[in-house]
Amino acid sequence: MARIDSLAELDKLRERLQEEMRLREGGEEVKVVVTMGTCGIAAGAREVITAILEEISKRGLKGVTVGQTGCAGLCHYEPLVEVERPGTEKVTYVHVDEKKAREIVSKHLVNGQVIKEWTIK
Amino acid sequence: MMEELAHHILDIARNSVEAGATRLEITVEEDTQSGVLRFVVGDNGPGMPEHVRRRMLDPFFTTKSGKKVGLGLPLLQMAVQRCGGHLEVSSAPGQGTTVVATFPYYCWDRPPLGDIPRTVVGLLAGSDQVDLCYRHVYNGQVFELDTVEIRLRLRGIPLQTPEVLLWLRQHLAESINNLCGGGEDGQDRLARRAG
Repeated sequence: MARIDSLAELDKLRERLQEEMRLREGGEEVKVVVTMGTCGIAAGAREVITAILEEISKRGLKGVTVGQTGCAGLCHYEPLVEVERPGTEKVTYVHVDEKKAREIVSKHLVNGQVIKEWTIK
Repeated sequence: MMEELAHHILDIARNSVEAGATRLEITVEEDTQSGVLRFVVGDNGPGMPEHVRRRMLDPFFTTKSGKKVGLGLPLLQMAVQRCGGHLEVSSAPGQGTTVVATFPYYCWDRPPLGDIPRTVVGLLAGSDQVDLCYRHVYNGQVFELDTVEIRLRLRGIPLQTPEVLLWLRQHLAESINNLCGGGEDGQDRLARRAG
């Protein structure tokens, strides 16, 4: 029975998202990429990417694409999170955990404020 | 070291995605009576040529440029051997790749299955081109989810939308719990599965 309820929920969610898409202006797209090679996964990239999804959803942020890529060759800095805003340089956060991931969403994605101490050049 | 079998599943499936697969089939099979836990990751990717297949368990071999090590399959092989299990990889150019890892169900050295819903969601986030069929078999009972059906139901809303992925995680968690956790000894079974 839970299955049917759950699918009905998905339909409701879809309707809401369709409505939001109609309302949304074509604003800029920010890209957040989590590296998920073997090194990233072992270091906790899966926990990081779900924390980012949760935080984006909780705050109702639109115009953010979450993506993933393979090993970036910086295995000892994993998990890595890259934030790319059009017209600005890519920012790479290192040693990210769930807590840091949530803060990256609230500070960087919402307020546009880079958390310099956690980044590398 | 991977702490969960689900981490290995994610890692192996990421290989498929990076190799260009567009369709993944992941099956987890728990048979508590015969004492077997098995997972299968199959893809429709390009498959491995002979010279790659020969060296795929060598940690100092990789097909990815700019890297000197490739630890995914070697780590899985280690996890399997540590508890007397069995790893089988079948792959040929144009035929895709299938990885089958078989573990004894009751074994101290076996990593717990771990968080499957999170793994599926982690895999799907940002992989727009990939469809996934997840199948969970528990003592012969089957749960199956295909993202092709979910996409149809979404009528154009991307599967990658965070809200949708979080719904999917919840849906998977409930469905797998219903499948494996039911009955009087539900708690006991859950505890065993969690490790």
